[in-house]
Amino acid sequence: MQWLSSIWRNLFRKHAVDSTLDEEIRSYLQLLVDEKMAAGADSETARREAAIELGALETIKEQVRDIRRGALLEGLWTELRQSIRALRHNPGMAAMCALMLALGIGASTTIFSVFEAALLRPLPFRDAGRLVELVETRLDRGMSEVAFSEADFWDLHDRTKSFERVAAYHNNEANLTDGQPEKVSAPQVTVEFFRTLGVAPVLGRDFSADEGRANVAILGNKFWKTRYGGNANILGKVLRLSDRSYTVVGVLPAGEPWIDDQVYLPYPHRPNADRSSWEFNAVGRLATGVTPEAAKTELQRLAELLAAANPKEDKGLGFDFLPSRRWIAPDSTRTALRFLLVAVGILALIACVNVANLLLARGLARQREIAVRIALGAARARLVRFVMLESLVLCTLGAVLGLALAAACVHVLRTAEIPGIPRLDEVGLYPWVLYFTAGITLITSLLCGLAPALQTPAQGIATALRESDRQAGASRRQGRLRSMLVTAEVALAFLLLVSAGLVLRSFQGLLNGHRGFETTHRLMFSLSYPDSYGENGRGKQFVDSFLEKLSANPEITSSGAVNVRPVEGPNFGMGIDAASHSFASGSPPWAGWRIITPGYLRAVGLPLLGGRNFNETDKPVWAERGQAPPSHRTVMLSSALAKLLFPNEDPVGKHTLLWKGQGGLDAEVVGVVGDSLERGLDHGAALTVYLPYGRVGVPSEFVIETRGDPMAVVPSVRAVIKRLDPNLPLADIRTFDDVVSLSVSSQRMNSVVLVTFSGFALLLASLGIYGVLSYSVSRRTSEIGLRMALGASESSILRITVGQGLLPVLVGITIGGAIAAWLSRYLKSLLFGVQPFDLSTYAAVSALLFVTAALACFVPCRRAMRTDPAIALRLE
Amino acid sequence: MPPSANIALLQGTLDVLILKVLALEPMHGLGISRRIAQVTKDTFQVKPGSLFPALHRMEEAGWLSADWGESENNRRAKFYRLTKRGLRQLKQETDNWGRISAAMAGALEIP
Repeated sequence: MQWLSSIWRNLFRKHAVDSTLDEEIRSYLQLLVDEKMAAGADSETARREAAIELGALETIKEQVRDIRRGALLEGLWTELRQSIRALRHNPGMAAMCALMLALGIGASTTIFSVFEAALLRPLPFRDAGRLVELVETRLDRGMSEVAFSEADFWDLHDRTKSFERVAAYHNNEANLTDGQPEKVSAPQVTVEFFRTLGVAPVLGRDFSADEGRANVAILGNKFWKTRYGGNANILGKVLRLSDRSYTVVGVLPAGEPWIDDQVYLPYPHRPNADRSSWEFNAVGRLATGVTPEAAKTELQRLAELLAAANPKEDKGLGFDFLPSRRWIAPDSTRTALRFLLVAVGILALIACVNVANLLLARGLARQREIAVRIALGAARARLVRFVMLESLVLCTLGAVLGLALAAACVHVLRTAEIPGIPRLDEVGLYPWVLYFTAGITLITSLLCGLAPALQTPAQGIATALRESDRQAGASRRQGRLRSMLVTAEVALAFLLLVSAGLVLRSFQGLLNGHRGFETTHRLMFSLSYPDSYGENGRGKQFVDSFLEKLSANPEITSSGAVNVRPVEGPNFGMGIDAASHSFASGSPPWAGWRIITPGYLRAVGLPLLGGRNFNETDKPVWAERGQAPPSHRTVMLSSALAKLLFPNEDPVGKHTLLWKGQGGLDAEVVGVVGDSLERGLDHGAALTVYLPYGRVGVPSEFVIETRGDPMAVVPSVRAVIKRLDPNLPLADIRTFDDVVSLSVSSQRMNSVVLVTFSGFALLLASLGIYGVLSYSVSRRTSEIGLRMALGASESSILRITVGQGLLPVLVGITIGGAIAAWLSRYLKSLLFGVQPFDLSTYAAVSALLFVTAALACFVPCRRAMRTDPAIALRLE
Repeated sequence: MPPSANIALLQGTLDVLILKVLALEPMHGLGISRRIAQVTKDTFQVKPGSLFPALHRMEEAGWLSADWGESENNRRAKFYRLTKRGLRQLKQETDNWGRISAAMAGALEIP
């Protein structure tokens, strides 16, 4: 390791080397002067004589530097040259190794770059470690993360001492109507919001403390760039948002989360705020010196006070907070990415094993050369270093190729959109990623070099020298080492194949499950209504005439509207119970509610299982402002919900209690609708209450069933809307197929990546098996020839050789199976509808590996048997 | 006798001398140079121009290690000491020199 420390000193601490040298020479001079003065010279003379004796200072320094550098370069350069020369002697093998390593390193780098962007890159906020998201809890109802009610937020805001600041964010959308109408996200935030996060506008100013009611707006960076071209004159501009005017006062820096919306409006501190609707997200900055535990204790005390003061709304209230590191990626994404990182690590490991195997084979061929070298006095350490350096050269070559591969993959990834994987468009080969690549390059070169280095003959140079190159079974030790490598390789490949198989099966289960709704030939889009649509039934008028105009189009077979888009929309829920009897076991079910037009069921392909569909006579369950509550309410239930509420009864005609525990409205069940995976493919049949639309419930998500390509009707739909209301923005236009496929894209990515990885793993493993066996068979050619000459049948020889090749494979499959069974429970959160220990997957993977291995063995054995025994024997 | 070109011909002379001198105790540069002069009865006067490169080369080779310390008159100075490897080197070189000098003496018929 002398040369390593020398590299360190000379390359990285060059300055320090120079200054110590300076100091050393100065101290020498001083001692010289002291000596002369002790001999009686006066200080002037002593100094002069000493300087003369020392000679030319700079020349000395230069000589020393030369020597240092020389020592470094000599050691490194000659050995590097040697190993490069050795590799050039065998270009095929070098290329093979470099390619395998490039695959391993490139794939790891790509996955890590996604990992880095999603999980490692810091948030754009000052001191983000002290930032938290605050949530309410209602543990008595099993809810551990609920948004804040406005009143609870202000109570917390006014009383907490654990937080330097707390602020709230209220989701909101608005129609921007100057120029091209556009639906924009326009959340309302309390004036301290950005100060709490610790971001300052890049342009203009933040909301001031007294601006809660002012008509001012701050723009998000992306929106400012795309809509206004990043123009600095934006400050002072007046925007028309949902028929109100707002003056732009600032522009936020780029970044996420919380600050990547389009327009921010201030929200006032209201003394008599609402306590019963949970609509506010809250963030807080822990005060310095306050531990999270202390803050939680204080919050708990506050929650108890509030619950006591407001028993009706705040019963069972609690507060909790989540660390800011979870803001970018939810836990499921973290798990998935970590898992992919492990998977790619396994792939890289297999590549390493293969390269080690090739180097080992080459080392065997050079056994005698190495023995000669040792006999001639080469230090063993030097030989080990040589092997290691060779592996380093190969890995560096692999890393360069791998980086090129990763750059190409990253380029593709940046344009892909996979919900659930954040910041994919910001993935890149940034410094941390490159450090990672450098790290794994070093590790791989150590791993690849390890086995060949161990093999440099430790004992018995004489044996090695004596050993005939073709003597069968002589290097039993190395043979065992290589078999062990094959075993390791097969076990690792087994792990990858099993996880790929499980994830793939789970993905296919997702896609092929019964969905309830029909997705083909369906178009979806959403409209954003201005506030005025809530008055005088204007919204209903619009929806009615819009749907009527659509039905006139011969390309459109049916159309309808709903308040929440299936599969990708948010969920609005309520507690629901049968009116006549209380729910049998535990608390009543929590069901999603959807406001629909009568045509919706047909448009989305849901069957009516009993009773009737909604019609003109069905009115919304809520009262219009200033009107008496409706005397008779009607609802439809999804089949699963109906069975739950009215087991063994016909639900049609029965009465239910809607929003149980929050007022409670009585409603008659008029129909039962088929179950569907309305909450997403991985959620199971949804419990849904369908409510009729009307003047106080205007759905804005539209579904259109078409005769042909759904996207083809978009222009005519656009034209119809423009004729009805030119200021109405049309958004999120997608086919239902795309909606569904997008909702499972992270699962799809997992399967695609894993299947690709395991394909490569299988390829690498079979190459490894093939390499080992073809080598050992070629060494046994004469033995086989002899056996055949003595009358052994082809099949018996095949049995011996293939059996020898397959033994390590079988051991590998067993070990891999055991490890996979043990590790697969970590896979559970990624699987849907498949058990981690799915016997058929394990069996299929074992069979696949076994057959591939048998093929890899068969080829070299067959070749050996084809050789003429006479020739084979003459080889001896 | 002043150091002359002849002496430089004997490659490795300086190295062995430095190793030998340091085998007794750690020493700083000037000390090494003075001690060599003393033990060779002033045959070798090692100048800084050859001393420093030699010391650093031997340090690179791992024969010597260096530390800062106090000189006998309380000056800060860099002290060199022999490493295990240096000691081995000294033994080997000593053997070599023994053989060479015996051979030379025989050849040149020095009594």
